[in-house]
Amino acid sequence: MISAYGIGVQFLFNRHLRVVTPGEARLRGRRMTTWGLRDVTFSIGHGEGTALIGPSGSGKTTLLRVLAGVFEPDRGKVDICGRVASLLSVDAGLLPLLSGRENALLLGVIAGLPRRAAVRALEEVKARSGFEEAFDRPVLTYSQGMKARLGFAVAEETNPQILLLDEVHEALDHEFRSFLQERAHAIVEAGGIVVAAGHDHPMLATICTRAIWLEHGSIREDGAFEDVQPRYLDSVQTQGG
Amino acid sequence: MPSVYAIDASSDFSAGGSAATSTRVTTLSLVPIEHEYLLPAKPESDSVERETPLRRALHSLARSADLLRVLTESDLRFRYGRGPWRFVRWLLEPVALVGVYLLLVTFILDQSGEAVGLSLTCAVIPFQLVMLTIANAMTTLEARRPILLNMAFNRTLLPASCALTECVGFASSFFLLIFMMGVYGVAPTWSILWFPPVLLVNLLLAIAAAYGAILLGIWLRELKAFVLSFVRILFFLAPALVPLEQTSDSVRDALKLNPLTGLFEAYRDVFLYGQRPAAWELFYPLIGAVILFVVFVPIYRAEQRQFAKVV
Repeated sequence: MISAYGIGVQFLFNRHLRVVTPGEARLRGRRMTTWGLRDVTFSIGHGEGTALIGPSGSGKTTLLRVLAGVFEPDRGKVDICGRVASLLSVDAGLLPLLSGRENALLLGVIAGLPRRAAVRALEEVKARSGFEEAFDRPVLTYSQGMKARLGFAVAEETNPQILLLDEVHEALDHEFRSFLQERAHAIVEAGGIVVAAGHDHPMLATICTRAIWLEHGSIREDGAFEDVQPRYLDSVQTQGG
Repeated sequence: MPSVYAIDASSDFSAGGSAATSTRVTTLSLVPIEHEYLLPAKPESDSVERETPLRRALHSLARSADLLRVLTESDLRFRYGRGPWRFVRWLLEPVALVGVYLLLVTFILDQSGEAVGLSLTCAVIPFQLVMLTIANAMTTLEARRPILLNMAFNRTLLPASCALTECVGFASSFFLLIFMMGVYGVAPTWSILWFPPVLLVNLLLAIAAAYGAILLGIWLRELKAFVLSFVRILFFLAPALVPLEQTSDSVRDALKLNPLTGLFEAYRDVFLYGQRPAAWELFYPLIGAVILFVVFVPIYRAEQRQFAKVV
């Protein structure tokens, strides 16, 4: 279960319009402040697939990062019950100079596995990602699809109850997209939660029954996917036309 | 009454420790949880048991140790690469660093004294542990950017990870110290038993400096070279090229205030003079480390919540 109460995420900028920490802002002054998310309140229950839709810069990625624990909200609070796996970028948190095997070990431990368990799981991750000798090559030689496959294989090893996806599925090949859809369905059917953001709405429609439409960091609409998504597209066309 | 219940907690760690969010890894029984993230974990066994606070603390400690180990291992991969040459590099790096100063002191400055090369090594090696930890810490967020942007983890372990990485590099320096003792015919004495506490103080100073270095690395990112130059100045504002007893009386007491001075002299006592380090030689660097911890750790804990926004 995910519950968010009045979440706000603030970004401070210096005079070069680079994001700075509060400490640096105090030390060197700041030019402006923006809120990536403002007063966002929602809850997602067990067995629910939810799509985050909205234009670029509307706060989809920021919200997913809050749910993943990468960003801590500056206002409000988040309660999350369940093991979270996140694929928030195509590189899936992989470090380019490390091999697939070394990355799998590192990410496995960061994701919550004891080191011994992460070592034991390496062959399983190798098999699940479909890599052979590539598993021992540096990740900088991988294609984007390969990185996403490896990232997902590691995430799977932690047996997630909550899966967070940020446009990564849009970089995947058709075979792996089907696999990802299948796994997302399995998580939802088992009572877990999938939250996916992206612009590939047909893909999102296969996973999600609900959509949260974000605009300027706030929720504009929250409801059934088949209701909210057409209204969002209408709005885009109206603004474009 | 807590509003949220999670399914049991086997081990936990905090990504930030703020009032709004924290992280917890679950196991299998209903426990009340407020303001918490539950992060991925696959229980080692399926046994369902309620954990005592002690056991939970031990789990948390084991988890931190695992995390520290994999972070350090990945750092070492960046640093030394892979293949047989990494061992050659690991062995030769300290030799090259000491060699530069040795050439300066023996040939250019024509400095005489007791076992000049060993004396110099006793200063360069502890300094390198601190210096390289600071240099590593200043770039560690950038190096770990993909992880910081994708997953929550205990970011307070990053400074210790930087220091441990350099400690592995330091291990080869120990061979250099032994080699230098052989070159100058200095026999080891019981004083060598003081090496572990001296090393511990050296490591504590490096970790404490790493907290500040990570912050300076993001606050003053365009001034990284300047910060490193400042640290190098501290090397020359300590009895590095010559022992403390060869410095002038007028500056000797002032030099002791530099935490590196005590460290350099303690290494010389252990490896060169064969005597127990004086209390101040350990106490002053320790005080320096405590001051750095007191100043930077609270700021680091507050700032690390924002690291993912600025990398």
